[in-house]
Amino acid sequence: MRGQGAAEAQTPGGAVRPGSPQPLTPSLRRAAAMLRCLRPVPRLCPRLCPPPCPAPCPPRRCLAAAPGAPRLPLRRRLAAAGAVAGAAAAGWLYVRHEKRRRQRARRLAELRRLALGRGDFQLRDTAGAARSKADFLGRWVLLYFGFTHCPDVCPEELQKLSRAVELLERDPALPPLQPLFVTVDPERDDAAALARYLRDFHPRLLGLTGTTEQVRAAAKAFGVYVSTGPRDADGDYVVDHSVLTFLVDPDGLFRDCYGRSRTAEELARSVRAHMDAYEPLPPAGAE
Amino acid sequence: MAAPTMEERKACWGARDEFWQCLDSHGDDAAKCEKLRRAFESRCPQQWVKYFDKRRDFLKYKKKLETEGYHPPEAAGKS
Repeated sequence: MRGQGAAEAQTPGGAVRPGSPQPLTPSLRRAAAMLRCLRPVPRLCPRLCPPPCPAPCPPRRCLAAAPGAPRLPLRRRLAAAGAVAGAAAAGWLYVRHEKRRRQRARRLAELRRLALGRGDFQLRDTAGAARSKADFLGRWVLLYFGFTHCPDVCPEELQKLSRAVELLERDPALPPLQPLFVTVDPERDDAAALARYLRDFHPRLLGLTGTTEQVRAAAKAFGVYVSTGPRDADGDYVVDHSVLTFLVDPDGLFRDCYGRSRTAEELARSVRAHMDAYEPLPPAGAE
Repeated sequence: MAAPTMEERKACWGARDEFWQCLDSHGDDAAKCEKLRRAFESRCPQQWVKYFDKRRDFLKYKKKLETEGYHPPEAAGKS
């Protein structure tokens, strides 16, 4: 017969014993009893729980009645609780990661649809070759709408554009940048007129023209306002138009637009910032 | 009619600038700057002359707004 101190026999789900430090609810008692079952036969309550403790679990008194002893059981309980919390946190992180991945995939699909559908054009370059936006994918594009009979704005903007491209070309680490000029005056600006006009600016500046419908569609795709003015006695006229330079990324997505107020240096700086921040769209199905 | 070349553009702008400088120094008295006006008109396409005239009006109006502030016109009837 083993001494059990002042303990009486008791059932696991029994009432609170006199002298226990706090009242335990039935569920807590069950949990505590279960945790005790998990650990080896108690050497922890030598006074109260003589080994070997019989199955089922040793008397509750090991935890409730011995103030000095329960340190380790408490640590174990905390460790178990910590493990559960850790598992819950890991589960939550995984769910969050999955949600974000799905959101990203949706966004990418959206962007791909946008890239195909918007800002597209069907025009001809100064060599007579047909050009659309697809031809420029893989390169950054700086695109300006203007016309060759423009009094002062277009030459100034093209000068600025050329200078910005020059500044960016100086850095060999930067990706290639294609400057484009699209005419808003297709009636007068045919391939030859464009070639003559653009000679005075950046050597790689490519001119694009087309039929009236094609040019109108291109301007509309970029949200550029175009309004042909009244003709004078010589048949001369000016075309009122939005003065904007557009930046398009290698995926064909519109990134920024620049107006009259930006200098060439500011343009170059902004383009460079976009290039640095750029992340290519993964090919469809890759993510 | 071909578009002006870079040289022609620069000649036109030069004539315009001289004409405008003359106007600035004579308080926009066009009578005093007849010669430069004629040079300006000969160097620039007619459409450009009209365009630059409007531009000058706009720039002066803008300057007026910046210096004197905006005074809404006392028009009869509201718009």
